[in-house]
This record gives sequence, structure tokens and C-alpha cells, in this order.
Amino acid sequence: MTAPSIAPSAPTRAGARPAKTPRRRVPHARAVLVFLLPFGVLFALFYLLPIGYAVYQSLLVVERDGTFGPPVEVFGGLTQYIAVFQNEAFWSSVGRVLAFGVVQVPVMLGVALVLALLLDSPLVKGKKFFRLAYFVPYAVPGVIAAIMWGYLYSPNLSPFSALTSEVSFLSPDFVLWSIANVVTWVYVGYNMLIIYSSLLSIPAEIYEAAKLDGASQLQIALRIKIPLVVPAITLTAIFSIIGTLQLLAEPQVFRSFTSSVSSTFTPNMAVYATSAVPNVNLAAAMSVVLALATFAMSFAFLKFTQRKAEK
Amino acid sequence: MLRKNSTRIVALGVLSALALTGCASNSGSGSSGSAAADCAPADGKVELSFTSWIPGIDKVVDLWNEKNPDIQVTVQTGPNGNGGTYKNFFNQLEAGNAPDLGQIEYDALPNFRVQDGLENIAACDGVLDSKDQFIDWTWNQVTFGEDDAVYAVPQDTGPMAMYYRKDLFEKAGIPVPTTWDEYQAAAEKIRAQGGYITNFPQNDVNWFAGLVWQAGGQWFSNSGDAWNVTLDSPESAKVADYWQGLIGDDLVSKVPAWTDEWNNAYNTGSDWTWISAVWGANSISTGAPDTSGNWAVAPMPQWNAGEKAAGNWGGSSTAVLKGSEHPYEATKFALWLNTDPEALTALNQEANLYPATKDGLTLPVLADGVPFYGDQAIYDVFAEASGEVNPDFTWGPTMTQTYADVADGFGGVLGGSGTLTEALKNGQEKTISALEAQSIPVAK
Repeated sequence: MTAPSIAPSAPTRAGARPAKTPRRRVPHARAVLVFLLPFGVLFALFYLLPIGYAVYQSLLVVERDGTFGPPVEVFGGLTQYIAVFQNEAFWSSVGRVLAFGVVQVPVMLGVALVLALLLDSPLVKGKKFFRLAYFVPYAVPGVIAAIMWGYLYSPNLSPFSALTSEVSFLSPDFVLWSIANVVTWVYVGYNMLIIYSSLLSIPAEIYEAAKLDGASQLQIALRIKIPLVVPAITLTAIFSIIGTLQLLAEPQVFRSFTSSVSSTFTPNMAVYATSAVPNVNLAAAMSVVLALATFAMSFAFLKFTQRKAEK
Repeated sequence: MLRKNSTRIVALGVLSALALTGCASNSGSGSSGSAAADCAPADGKVELSFTSWIPGIDKVVDLWNEKNPDIQVTVQTGPNGNGGTYKNFFNQLEAGNAPDLGQIEYDALPNFRVQDGLENIAACDGVLDSKDQFIDWTWNQVTFGEDDAVYAVPQDTGPMAMYYRKDLFEKAGIPVPTTWDEYQAAAEKIRAQGGYITNFPQNDVNWFAGLVWQAGGQWFSNSGDAWNVTLDSPESAKVADYWQGLIGDDLVSKVPAWTDEWNNAYNTGSDWTWISAVWGANSISTGAPDTSGNWAVAPMPQWNAGEKAAGNWGGSSTAVLKGSEHPYEATKFALWLNTDPEALTALNQEANLYPATKDGLTLPVLADGVPFYGDQAIYDVFAEASGEVNPDFTWGPTMTQTYADVADGFGGVLGGSGTLTEALKNGQEKTISALEAQSIPVAK
């Protein structure tokens, strides 16, 4: 039934635009649709719908009469967004995670790159063991890792209390970097694995050619391997930027170890605290602003690295 | 063909289920007047859900379920109110699937009232008649001083006293402090021996409110037209200055409360006293099991020698949450839970809850000596304190936020920046803007 209808249309298209390859009709369109359906339904239900609902909530304001009047939600335009931009706690939390990201992301990716290069180098023995060993922390859930490190940092309960009672890892000046250490510990192996798998895909001929030209292992690493895995590093950097802006579990857990982590320490915690008031409309507006900022920063980073690559 | 139809049917089913839940959530938050709705019993068997964080509450509810086959209550437990359960309640109310009954502390009732989360149960059987059974100030808390409205059934109270390590005080030859000045003097002596008199809990802002309550202060008042916010009242500042001095001189430890580190400080004898509520008896005995028999309870230190004033920390009510289909049965259960001698005895044995009823204070279980406290009849101290609590204390409508913002300021103080008074002032400003953000009128 469908077969004859393609035949006449195909040549006309090809004739109209000879420069481009003819657009092919997708075979088994229905089967494709059926296979896409589970994803599409879940994506719509648990991604698009909640985002749409959050945007809708962020456009409402609460009105009421008297001290105990029931709340009535009415359309308030961008009122909540103005409140977000006037919210000092929210912006100081954004500043905090940006400072965190500027330091922690390069350190983590630098370590991940070095570990990946070491694993890829022909000089290292026991690669399988080290590959697994570096990756194991990622298998520990973030909350558990934070609890574990919380105890390690604790001045009285730590097994290293000789050190932790002298150096206060949980003091207001230091706690952000103690958290950075936890995040680095968890994710360095994960990022290493992405970079390492990219290293494995480099054809062996390139190395042979380099060796024939007299390149040392260090020169191969610096001049061949690193430039070729830049796309993988870019990818891990974007994941890390997103992860940094969305920090929640680690600082939230640290609140039970130290008084230095305020209820609005990171943007996500500020959203959580606002929704606990409960002021869901303001919390929704904060979430939308945070999502847009995350998207803008990831996109800007991608464009920046692409432009560099073109030069 | 058959297959195609069946997928359509499934899709239709999913869609209609979604539509139905949408409708259900709307009807849940529909009627919202303050007038008591009619409250009639249901036909047949009723199943109720009840969320509470009281340890062992399931055993108390089992007593009810055995006797009432037609009204079966299912318990859900969770973290304490400000620790997450209130947030769950608000989310559930928004979604229209809140439990029938919820544990709500007195300080959170105005918040739930403002968010229209409470059923007015005044019309339900036996509610208005039960008024005289309850301690007067608790009844004020659940009615907000209105005549034709009851929004919850009082459960327990938290009159405050001083838990102290009797053995350590005796051994060191330090007299048990009766005034705050003596408390500071004792703190210096204890510090000289390497210990701390107590811990300053950054996140227990409601504990700090209890101290302000003792000092005769108020944080909120409601004129009917607008809220007055007075976190920076002179009484508040007096309490803040006092503790600021103890923190500044390193006379109190600063670990976050309710953590292993905090338990450890009490269990190892590093912290010597805890100014706390009656329910705190349970917290010490579970958190510091190695110190059994060494504790005792004395009245709170006073601001002036010879005075008798006590604060209150915590205390809960059992509320019927908005949207419950069975307010009659839910109210019946709440009244039983909080007035029946068997239930009150069980609540005390499981969780050291201290009844909010007048008769409850003379329960036989409360007359006994408690082994953990060297067989002292500790509830006698709390019964006396209960009578010394200022009956007029009003909570604000966004206490979770107020607590969080003041706690952030307190955290700064413990980290070495700012003062407690500044933290309270900052909390005052943040509270006012939080109220205004929700169109709650504030007097200026």
C-alpha cells in the first residue's frame, strides 16, 4: 500500500535539489514510533510536564485577606522573578558555587586527565586494578560519601582527630573546600573513565608514526593524546559545570556536621529552603532562573571551546 | 486489530486516570472558609492515615486499632516537623493527598492555618466539650483564641527545666545553679576542668524561643488586622546577650545538636547540663546510655533569684489535615490519643511525652522515679514548671523560615562572625519580607 507512493515522489525531489542527497523516507515509521513511545511518554510526564508546571507556578503570586485569610493564587507576571533578582541569599549562593566551580572543576578534570594518561601509558603495570580502584568512589552514593567524609573531618569523632582537632576542616572559611574535596573524590574516577575511553579510541598507527619520528612518551601525551581527547574533556567540563550549579546533597549532609553551612549555602538549597516556607511560587521562579543560568553557562562554554578548536 | 484497540484502551485509561487525579486534587483544596463544616460519621469501615515522628507511636496506635475494628489507623513516620515532615505535609496538601491526621507542633499551627491546611473540627463530636480537659494555654494554641474554631487537638507540652550531671557537680563541689548568673559562674568552673556546661545548638531556634518565653518575651503578636514581629524585643536581646557572653568566652560547646558528635559530648561527660523540655528526658537516655543513673533534673535557672518562671520548648498537637474525607472519625481518634489515660500512659512510656491534659499530669506513670535519673521523680519538676509557663505566647505564620534564617545567623556567630542580637535582627527582617511575599499583612 505504501510502496508505490514513494516511487514517483523520490525522483522529483532529487531533481529539484540535486546538490543535496535525496531525503530518504524512514522505513518502518510505525515501529520507530512504537519504540520511541515509552521514552516520549516518560519524557513528557517526568520532564516536560514538571518544567511547564514550574514555569506556570513561577508566574503566580499569593493574595489573601487578613492575618489568616486563605491563600489565593493569582497571575502575577514576572513579580516572582523580580523577587529572585532582589534575593541576596540566592545570589550569594550562586557566587559561592561559581567560586567553587572555578577552582574545583579544573582541579578535578586535571587530576582525571593525568590519571587517564597514566593508565593509557605503556609504562604502567596493573592497569585493570587501578582503573577499577579509581572508579570505585563513584559507586558510592553522594550522600553516603558526604556522611563518610563528614565523620573523617569531624574534630572529635574522626579517626584522624589528631589532625582534625588542629585544622578545622569544617570552619566557615574552609568548609566549601572540604566539600570540594568530597565532590572531587567522588567524580574524579568517573571523569577519568570518559577521558580514558576516548584515549583508547585513538588509532595505534598515530603512535607508531610518532615513535618513528622519535617522540618520547611525554611528547606523545602532550602533543597527540591531549589534543585528541579535548572533546571528551569538554564533555566532562560541561557535566561538571551543571553538577556544580546543582550542588545539594553534599552541603545538605554537612549541615549535620557543622554550623558553617547555612540553609541557603547553594542555589538548590536556597530553592529547597524557600519551598519549605512554603513559598512554592518564589521557589519555582528560582528554579527556572537556575535552570536557564545552567543552560546558558554550559552553552557558552561549548561555544567557547568550539571557537578555540576552529582557530 | 485487537492489539491496536487494546493499546488505545490503555492510553485512554492512563489519560482518564490523570484527569481524575487532577480533579481530586482540586476538590481537596476547594472549600476554605473558617466556619466549621458539618462533621458526620461515615457508614461502614473507615481507614485513616496518620503521620507522626513520635518514637513508638505505632505501638500506641495498635492499642486503638485493637479496640476499634471499624476505624483503622495506619501510621506513617518521618523526620521531625521542621526537619522535613512539614514540607511533606505542604506538598501533600498542594497535591490533595495529605494524610487524614498529622502531628503538628504548636509553633507550626499558624503556618498551616495561613496555608489553609487545617480542618476546623469544632463541629465534630466532643471537641468543644473537651476544652476544659486541656491545659489552658494549649487550648489557646489550637483555637488561636477564637470561640467557634478548633484546628487541632493538643497532644503534649514541653515545659523546660535543667538536666544536669549530678555526679559531676557533686564531685567538683560546684553548687547546682538556680539563677543564670550562677549558671555562668558554674560554666567558668566547669570549663577550668576541661568540660562545657552545655552546648549552644545553632539549629534549635525554638529552644532559644523557649528561653525568651521564660524571660517574658514575645516574638509575634496578631492584632487581627496585621502581624507584629518582635524578634528584636528587649527580652530577646537580654537572652541573646547572655548566651553571646558564654559563646564569646568559650564556655559552651558548639557542635550541631541531634548529631552523633552531640550525643558523644553528653555520653562522655564533656557536656554537663542541658536546658531542655520534658521530652528531652528520652533524648538523653538514648543518646548518652553510658551515663545512666548520673543525671538529675532541677528547675530552669532564673533571671532574678527567687523568681519562678519556666519556658516551653515544643509540644505537639494532632491536626485533621484539609481534605480528609473522614473528619468525624479522625477527630474521634485524635481525642482518644490525647486524652485517654491508656494512650497517654503509652505515649509517656514510649517517648516521654508529657500530656496536655490537666488530668494527664497526675497519671500514675508520671509519679514514678526514673532509673536513668537516679530514681528521681523527674515529672514533679516538670509539673511545677508547667504551671509557670506564660500562657500567652504567639507563634508566627512562617516559623520554618524564621527558624532557618535565625539559625543561619546563629551559625555565623558560632563561626566567629556577628552577634546573636544581629542574627535576631536579621531574622526579623527576613521574616517580615517572607510574610509580605505571601501577602500576609505586617504592622510596621
